[in-house]
Amino acid sequence: MILRLKNQDKDALSYLYDKYGAALYGAVQRIVQDEDVAAEVVQDIFLKIWNKIGMYDPQKGRLFTWMLNLSRNAAIDKIRSKEIKRSAKTDSIDEYVYTIDRQNSTETSVDGIGVRELMDDLVEEQRFVLLKVYFEGFSHSEIADEYDIPLGTVKSRLRSALKHLRNKVQL
Amino acid sequence: MDIKEYIASGILEEYIFDTLSPQERIEVELRLAEYPELREELNAIEDSLEGIAMATAIQPPADLKANIMSTLGASEVGLKEENTKQKEEPKVIPMPQTNNGMWKYMVAASVTIALVTSYLAYDYHGKWKASSDAFAQLQAQNSQMAEQYNQVNNRLDDLVADIDIISDTDFKRVNMGAVDPTQSYAASVYWNAKTDEAYLNIKQLKTLTEEQQYQLWAIVDGVPVDMGVFDFDVEGLMKMKNVQNASMFAVTIEPKGGSENPTLDLMQVAGAV
Repeated sequence: MILRLKNQDKDALSYLYDKYGAALYGAVQRIVQDEDVAAEVVQDIFLKIWNKIGMYDPQKGRLFTWMLNLSRNAAIDKIRSKEIKRSAKTDSIDEYVYTIDRQNSTETSVDGIGVRELMDDLVEEQRFVLLKVYFEGFSHSEIADEYDIPLGTVKSRLRSALKHLRNKVQL
Repeated sequence: MDIKEYIASGILEEYIFDTLSPQERIEVELRLAEYPELREELNAIEDSLEGIAMATAIQPPADLKANIMSTLGASEVGLKEENTKQKEEPKVIPMPQTNNGMWKYMVAASVTIALVTSYLAYDYHGKWKASSDAFAQLQAQNSQMAEQYNQVNNRLDDLVADIDIISDTDFKRVNMGAVDPTQSYAASVYWNAKTDEAYLNIKQLKTLTEEQQYQLWAIVDGVPVDMGVFDFDVEGLMKMKNVQNASMFAVTIEPKGGSENPTLDLMQVAGAV
């Protein structure tokens, strides 16, 4: 797959979109909070994947991880360039994440596990960090600074959250 | 190094989320290469991350994919298509060329065959015609010879018959001399008094027109009796009408078909029995 992408095989990118497009769009959408902007960002991401595939190193992680990081970074860049105040949306993280999920309930992936279901049995602290990092694009240190949580705690909470979810989302 | 503690620190998650400094990243990468357990944990984290992403996927707008694929196409696909065109060109163009070559040879062969065949046909036609003409000529010659043979044969038969009459002593030859003493016209009648048969033989008479014929008369008891008409060019003995008690024979020129009474003015030859 990576070789095909590096050979600029359009079919490979098409396959990649079919498999991961919705996942990346979901991640981006939850960060940028706007369908049109999300579509724009996802389009940019796939062009970036297409053009920058040479920079991807399989030794350092999976293709999807690389793509997801590209997506998150692109989405974060987008909202920052639009000077969307973080405080404005951090007031009720749970609400809006869940709201998006309800709004897009018909559009969520076929496995039917929404963000709510996924997060429900996480302890509050873990869920908070995960949402911040994963769905809002905060860096660990940003969370630590902004919410006065020790960096180590942020890391371990995130780790616990992912570890917990690991069992839940069997690939 | 305590691997469990290292994992528990959450640095792998940071590595996955790409929030580490370049220096920290290199450090993690070195340790990943060194400790398989770390690699295993990293895989597990990636699994969960992918799982979350899949679980929280949202179906993008339907036209997004087409937009992406078309924006890709702008530069690279153009090149790609040109490449495939260039690839196809040598594939496509030589084919008609070889076909053309084939066709050229086939057409050339066909034309050659047609020309040769036409020539042969013409040649044989000519030969056939020549043979046919020669054959027709031979047939004509043959029939001509047969005709000539028949003529000669008939003539011979006639002559034999004439000789029979001439040599028959029962036939009396009556010579008729020219009435006009300045002319040398002459003819004879062979007459059999027993059977009343009579034959005419011309020695020399003048040429008549198409509308005229000679008529032979017999004088019986002083009265001219018609013995039939004949043309000026009759050869050999010609059978005439039977006559009895003839005392004289005479030939007159009459209108074609003969007359009831002789035109005495035009009497050519005459002779007494």
